[in-house]
Amino acid sequence: MTRELIIIGGGINGLVAAAYLAKAGVKVLLLEARDVLGGLAGGVDPIPGYRCDVGGPDAGWLLPDIVADLQLDAAGLELVTPQACVCSPQEGGRALTLWADSARTAEEISRFSPEDAHRWPDFAAQIGRFAGLLEALYAVAPPQVPDPDGRDIGTLLRLGLRLRRLGRREMVEFLRVAPMSVAEWLDDWFKSDALKGALGAGGITRIFQGPRGAGTAFVFLHHQVGRPAGAARGAHYVRGGPGALAAILANVAQGYGAEIRTTAPVREIVVRDGKAIGVALETGEHLAARQVVSSADPRRTFSRMVDAGQLDPEFLWTVGNIKCRGAVATVHLAMSELPRLSGVTEEALGGAITIAPSLDYLEHAYDDAKYGAVSRLPFLEARIPTLLDPSLAPAGKHLVSVQLQYAPYRLRPGGWDDRAREEVANVAIETLSAYAPNVRGSVIGRHVVTPKDLEDRYGLTEGHAYHGELTLDQILFMRPVAGWARYRTPIEGLYLCGAGTHPGGGLAGAAGRNAAREMLRERRA
Amino acid sequence: MSIPSTWDVIVIGGGHNGLVTAAYLARAGKKVLVLERRYCVGGAAVTEEIFPGFKFSVFSYVVSLLRPEIIRDLDLPRHGLEILPLESTVTPLDNGDYLAGWGDPDKTRREIARHSLRDAEAMTEFGRLMHHMAQAVKPILGMVPPDPTSLSPRELTGLLRVGRHFKDLGAERFHALYKLMTMSSADYLDEWFETDGLKATKSASGIIGTFLGPRSPGTAYVLLHHYMGEIDGSFRAWGFAKGGTGAISESIAGAARRFGAEIRTDAGVSKVLVRRGGAAGVVLDNGDELRARVVVSSLDPHRTFLQLVGEDHLPDEFVGDIRRFKFRGSSGKVNLALGELPNFTCLPGVGPHLRGAISISPSIDYLERAYDDAKYGEFSKAPYMDVIIPSMIDPGMAPPGKHVMSIFVQYAPYHLNGGWTDAKREAFGDAVVDTLTRYAPNLKQAILHRQVVTPADIERTTGLTEGNIFQGELSLHQLFFLRPAPRWAQYRTPVRHLYQCGAGTHPGGGIMGASGRLAALRILGDGR
Repeated sequence: MTRELIIIGGGINGLVAAAYLAKAGVKVLLLEARDVLGGLAGGVDPIPGYRCDVGGPDAGWLLPDIVADLQLDAAGLELVTPQACVCSPQEGGRALTLWADSARTAEEISRFSPEDAHRWPDFAAQIGRFAGLLEALYAVAPPQVPDPDGRDIGTLLRLGLRLRRLGRREMVEFLRVAPMSVAEWLDDWFKSDALKGALGAGGITRIFQGPRGAGTAFVFLHHQVGRPAGAARGAHYVRGGPGALAAILANVAQGYGAEIRTTAPVREIVVRDGKAIGVALETGEHLAARQVVSSADPRRTFSRMVDAGQLDPEFLWTVGNIKCRGAVATVHLAMSELPRLSGVTEEALGGAITIAPSLDYLEHAYDDAKYGAVSRLPFLEARIPTLLDPSLAPAGKHLVSVQLQYAPYRLRPGGWDDRAREEVANVAIETLSAYAPNVRGSVIGRHVVTPKDLEDRYGLTEGHAYHGELTLDQILFMRPVAGWARYRTPIEGLYLCGAGTHPGGGLAGAAGRNAAREMLRERRA
Repeated sequence: MSIPSTWDVIVIGGGHNGLVTAAYLARAGKKVLVLERRYCVGGAAVTEEIFPGFKFSVFSYVVSLLRPEIIRDLDLPRHGLEILPLESTVTPLDNGDYLAGWGDPDKTRREIARHSLRDAEAMTEFGRLMHHMAQAVKPILGMVPPDPTSLSPRELTGLLRVGRHFKDLGAERFHALYKLMTMSSADYLDEWFETDGLKATKSASGIIGTFLGPRSPGTAYVLLHHYMGEIDGSFRAWGFAKGGTGAISESIAGAARRFGAEIRTDAGVSKVLVRRGGAAGVVLDNGDELRARVVVSSLDPHRTFLQLVGEDHLPDEFVGDIRRFKFRGSSGKVNLALGELPNFTCLPGVGPHLRGAISISPSIDYLERAYDDAKYGEFSKAPYMDVIIPSMIDPGMAPPGKHVMSIFVQYAPYHLNGGWTDAKREAFGDAVVDTLTRYAPNLKQAILHRQVVTPADIERTTGLTEGNIFQGELSLHQLFFLRPAPRWAQYRTPVRHLYQCGAGTHPGGGIMGASGRLAALRILGDGR
């Protein structure tokens, strides 16, 4: 029998798309290759007795519409926002903590630079305004530039008005700042290296650029979308821990009638005369469907799942050029005690322990990666989910999940063998220990996920969690590729709904929801 | 009572943009006076006999972007402008081989094919695309940037014109242009080519005058500059002015004089006279006051506003914008007088390659490492160099049998750790000569005289703030309606009757003259 619609991939975006489509009455079958749902937001036991999400505990921003439309609250969703956003230890035993409460942050900053503390409220307000603008842009399918259709013109006018409402000054300021390097932007605002490092880290998250690369100011703003006002670099955790969000979404989708199959890896998207007619599983099983939606990254979807003969070579070339250079390794550490940072309270550890003492530090870290090496002194973001939910580890023990950047996918020489994997764990432990000396001695278990592992185990091309870097040339109407930013593809009946599409990674389900809405709009038409 | 103005317009600075503005205004019948601080006109486009018998284009040394309409309108050839083509670019590679681009596209393709068939094939398509892109950008270079924040009919029309222009390009070309504007030259070229030396040499053009490396986004669009001039194919469409770049300035000055403009050298301006919120004239270094109805500054925004006008005459917000305008000079020059021609190991003997450019850009990593040194406040130990031998193109530049060599060098950061001293200058010169000698072993003993020009020297001699050769970096956030400051990107300034016409305004750097021309047209348009 021919199903109505098949969704490939049970990550957050795939699940959200499934829920929206099923809610609208579409008969949906979702296929997940692995035995757990959630993709990088799926719970795993990296170390026996310890649980966490592969992608770390930050769930990213959930569009309020998604929560409302799918009634996720009723389904048991509870988002937790730690009071501490970022705790950035410095040499000499000091630490700078950025709090969700802007005033508290300013007070903290004044210990480093009274002048900067004085400017903080204005800065916090500005990033709030700019993030709000992006939020509006992210809630809709990207307008087609340079020749918008009637509907785009409506969207553009709305955005234009929103932009104007910022006032003439702020409007130009937004246009000026977005393409800037986060380093130059922060230099315009602040003096303190500690502050600029802690903030600048947000501008390089998961891109293969240093803080001096143009467009990193945009990356910073991208990650501010949906964060509490004034909370620079804050995070959202989901109560219930690893896999909780995926589980809730799966229940909701199934409640609306969606069918979900795990351990069902798709080998091929079957295309006849330019039209998708179903999928073939690794097992050889064929599943017919009128429409297919892939939440896999665009490069994987088109270079691996679709027969090249069905695609225009130029399109394939363009897709092949999508930059998704994995730059982050995750090092999960089982620890017998919490990292001890002098002068840092347990509350301050509730956010991310960020090792980014200065912009130059981050730039040096990138320098190593440019030439194919793991940063000798990497940018670290360590989160401790067991602070929020002790049940994730044996009594009294903790799990510290460390994002290490830069760990280039294309490691020279030799690539990602076991030695390199061990080495990256050592670098993480040593770097942390330089600030929290007790770490070295209290690690009782470790598990490393390199970009290569993400590619091999999660099907992420070049191990890029966002399915493509969020550089200026790969966002909005350019994401995933120019001319195909509306979730459609050159193959009739085949759609994309993953982080490789607008608005991209770090935003839980936004792409999936936008894609579903586009498809439903098309059905109505 | 106010003293009657002697002049319609006073132009501060006799650089090429100042001269172009003066020429256009004089051509329109205005009574124009140009004031140049130095003994000669040209600013950074000068030819000077630094050592007896040896003439150098001391700073700017090649030309490709001089707007054709300016050459036409001002009839520059008649005033002595003669552009001799630079026929080739040769890049010595680390494996002892070389990679060359010649004036003849087919010859170039055959050469590239030696290194990669794939690249040789891509070359044609790439050249075609770049040509289209250059065509797409030209109208933008020739337009006064509209103010996107204004709702005045004039500005909205301007915005619509920009919008329509992009729409008319068609989606495909617009998207290609958008990628060029936002990507790094290394990433962009990676999409097309595989030969490292080729990518490096092409991307080198993207880093000139900026404080960025080839892997930094925002460096790709400068690739276009190679294609602005000529039609596709020629590896680079640069030319060399007979008599050096000073000859270009001289020809524009000649045109200005012919239209009746007066040009005074050794006449430095210390201050713009502001009366009741409007510019009334200038005060010279010697204290003389000169009155004019309109004052135009071709100096960079820092000098113009923070030094000549003064903050008290300007809105705080505007002052803040000018203060944060980025200069960060990153380039230096080494000018050599040679007793004999350099003998390049990769291409021994005297050949056509010595009449073109020699690019020391063996690989992307090489350029990137050169940038790494500069990022942390040191000059590059192994710098990127663009080398030409003007005396091979124009024998008049050196005594018979002798030669002059012009070496453009990056990176030499203005903000050098510990600052630029004579010792640092010489160390920088040594690094340049030593690096180049690795490719041409006889160079060192062929040197008769050496002039080393650091960003600090550029600033001191030409007045360019932080020695930035473009009067401000050509980075995305300092282009078009943001150059030099939001709402003041239309050659006007917050001071009535004071205009700006330098490279610090749209479209900016290179010996292009577009800023000077657009400023003149704006002044005339305002009925001044």
